[in-house]
Amino acid sequence: MRNTLAIASRELTSFFYSPIAYVVTCLFMLLAGFFFLTVTFQPDQPAELRQLFTVIVWILIAVVPAISMRLMSEELRSGTIEPLMTSPVSDLQVIAGKWLGSLAFFILMLVPTIAYVIIIEIHADPDYGPILSGYTGLILVGGLYLAIGSFASTLTRNQIIAFILTVFTILIFTIAAALAPRFLPNSLAPVASYLNVNRQYDDFSKGLIDISNIVFFLSAIAFFLTLAVKALESRKWR
Amino acid sequence: MIEVQQLTKWYGPVLALDRINLHVPAGRIVGFLGPNGAGKTTTIRILTAFMPASAGSAKLNGHDVFSQSALVRDSIGYLPESNPLYSEMRVEEHLHHFGKLHQMPRNLRRKRIDELADHCGLSHIRRRLVGQLSKGNRQRVGIAQALLHNPPILILDEPTAGLDPTQITEIRKLITSLAGQKTILLSTHILPEAEKTCEQLVIIAAGKIVAQGTPDQLKAQVRQSARIIIELKADPLIVRDIFTKLPGVAEVQIDAMKKLPGADSRDGWCAAHITPNDPQSDIRESLGQTAQNHHWLIREMRHERASLEEYFIQITAPQSNIVAA
Repeated sequence: MRNTLAIASRELTSFFYSPIAYVVTCLFMLLAGFFFLTVTFQPDQPAELRQLFTVIVWILIAVVPAISMRLMSEELRSGTIEPLMTSPVSDLQVIAGKWLGSLAFFILMLVPTIAYVIIIEIHADPDYGPILSGYTGLILVGGLYLAIGSFASTLTRNQIIAFILTVFTILIFTIAAALAPRFLPNSLAPVASYLNVNRQYDDFSKGLIDISNIVFFLSAIAFFLTLAVKALESRKWR
Repeated sequence: MIEVQQLTKWYGPVLALDRINLHVPAGRIVGFLGPNGAGKTTTIRILTAFMPASAGSAKLNGHDVFSQSALVRDSIGYLPESNPLYSEMRVEEHLHHFGKLHQMPRNLRRKRIDELADHCGLSHIRRRLVGQLSKGNRQRVGIAQALLHNPPILILDEPTAGLDPTQITEIRKLITSLAGQKTILLSTHILPEAEKTCEQLVIIAAGKIVAQGTPDQLKAQVRQSARIIIELKADPLIVRDIFTKLPGVAEVQIDAMKKLPGADSRDGWCAAHITPNDPQSDIRESLGQTAQNHHWLIREMRHERASLEEYFIQITAPQSNIVAA
């Protein structure tokens, strides 16, 4: 556990050294701010962030892979994987540490959106239940996308390829899962629906924290992190 | 301490290591030499549990690198060839990070880092970013990192590559100061350094171990391992004739046109390269006496021992052609 936290804290601080982190955060805030003004902060709109959160889940498809693309790829490219993997750490500790570090950064990236909460609080009387559950859902979605990104990053030393692989995989879980039911036989359509991240997020945005949604996210995160650990372990067999 | 048996490694269709056997006893400094591409770094990566072998076994400190890799990694301090470091961290942070990964508690870490800062000459750069360090300083950080958790085995891959002579001497003093306390496997192709630092040398070429022994043992195996060179004022052919007939002389080569820059021209000086029968014997006295008897003027006589370079080139020559191709 201590190893995992050591790796996580190193990863988190190293994010702030790279320009990517700042660029990504600024772009995210620009987009989120734009949608806040045009969607939420309009006359006659309800004092809720629900639509904004739904849009943000779509924005994350482009933003989160930019955070995760360097997790393992940078170590592979610069060679620092050698001193790392020859220390007494396990593959699981490395992956979990990096994922946690990037998740911590992701949460920090979300923090400025509290400004929107403050703004609508000043002008109206928002319901905090859906806001809190909305943020919880966002963290789960971010965690899932970061897990996918961690796996993609273990596969290549090229960050661009890691980014592209992550985006494509996420698109399968969002767009493909949304469109697939039309083309699948009736027995399989619910499977595709179940795998649709936006659908799973829906309850969170409404203020519902449903255990079935949490189970989806946690198991999907576990699935991709396991794949990442296996990819790292496979070095032993090559 | 380090036991390697029949270690083999295939990179696809290419055989990189061909049944290597290696034994490094505890407390010794062993040099691992070889031309580029011979398999030094491959062997080291297998020993540090970074890469798996295709066949054979390796045990460090009694633990097998494949089945007990975490225990192996606990027992080693490793300096990789290109010494990759996290360039965005400060020197101190870097050492703390790896100290944490070796389960060192905070107080112990602090104490060790203070000690190593002195020992490795890092005190003045503790707060500097690793990415801003010169090569010599990066190397020192890498060595400090390898020594941090006080492992019984140190594996150093080209620790002095790219350093200037002063730095090389410092690193050498550091390494030799650890002799007896730690078992050190040091890979290099800087032969004079290997000779001065290591008690024992292992030479690998094209994936096979071609020689093992102390530096003196290896040098003694060079053909023409010792030579006497005399510069005489005499007829070259006569000199060759006389010297060849002397007891204890195996071979004489004459260099007739020996010109010193700035000296008067040829004017009768020649240089005789004499190989004795027994490299250990000293035939200078009989050579000097012979020259005196024939009234030859001597202006220089020197005793040349074969260098490790010559041995290295001889022993790796046939293989190095294959490696180059």
